[in-house]
Amino acid sequence: MWESLEHMGWVTFLATTGWLYGAVSVVHYFTLFFFIGTIVLVDLRIIGIAGRNQTISLLADQLLPWTWIGFMLAMLSGILLFATDAGDYAPDHVFRAKMLVILLAVILTVIVHRGQWKWSQLPVVPLTAKLIAAASLLLWLGAILAGVDIAALSGLG
Amino acid sequence: MYAFVLGFAKWLEGTGWASVIRTTGIYPYIQLIHFSGLTVWLGTNTVVDLRLLGIGQKHQTAAQLSEALFVWNWIGFCVVVLGGFLLFSGIGTTYLANAAFEVKLGIFVPLALIWHIVVQRKVQKWGQASEVPPIARLSALVELLLWLCVVTAAVEIPNH
Repeated sequence: MWESLEHMGWVTFLATTGWLYGAVSVVHYFTLFFFIGTIVLVDLRIIGIAGRNQTISLLADQLLPWTWIGFMLAMLSGILLFATDAGDYAPDHVFRAKMLVILLAVILTVIVHRGQWKWSQLPVVPLTAKLIAAASLLLWLGAILAGVDIAALSGLG
Repeated sequence: MYAFVLGFAKWLEGTGWASVIRTTGIYPYIQLIHFSGLTVWLGTNTVVDLRLLGIGQKHQTAAQLSEALFVWNWIGFCVVVLGGFLLFSGIGTTYLANAAFEVKLGIFVPLALIWHIVVQRKVQKWGQASEVPPIARLSALVELLLWLCVVTAAVEIPNH
């Protein structure tokens, strides 16, 4: 199944056209740095060690839209990169671990997004909110680690 | 000058920690340091640039946003440099022979960094009002393009 994806015309074109593959890689890297940065800043604010001059919701309202836009672009570019070597990526344990970590990170980010306005209203940020924010932050950094591990441990990409 | 840098790279390669980076499984974690710093550094830069370009929520002016993110912007930068230095330490002489690396660190990083400092200082004036002057929009766009050039050069390193 994945092999047939790899052998589709536009996928082999992407895989064999150096400047295009490089451009997609640049989009993947830049947008992931960008969107993970935005959620990290919001998480750090909730934890209480960043941007304390603004309320949580003031920061989150401006940053979280970018988290999702950036995530979409990172995911799209990621799918393109995956396609070029789908037969090797799909069964790879490190790649699968990365997908699982991203799924968990997205779930935590949704919880942060839904909780931020409420937490911002309270006089003191609840401990559970801080733990959720910390988990979100650690999971996204974990996704980056899994990403670099794909090359380091499996030799792919 | 180049001889000095080369000598420094050779000395770094000979250190204990460089050997650890080369021979143990720690390398991905060094990359993690560099990349984690990049999320905060590029994230804070891009958010302010996008705001100057007039894209995104307008709860705060670009000046206010830049001010709010200033400390973590530079903390991010320090983490990037730390990670980058450690990555370089392991195989510095190899990197110095890599054209993409030389373009990245010799041309685009200095350019982008200087430009970023200029924009960051100017944003206090430019970003006061909701209406951002055209020069500010152009400058923000240039900053984004310069950091994209840095990432492009970095992506090209394995290919050279």
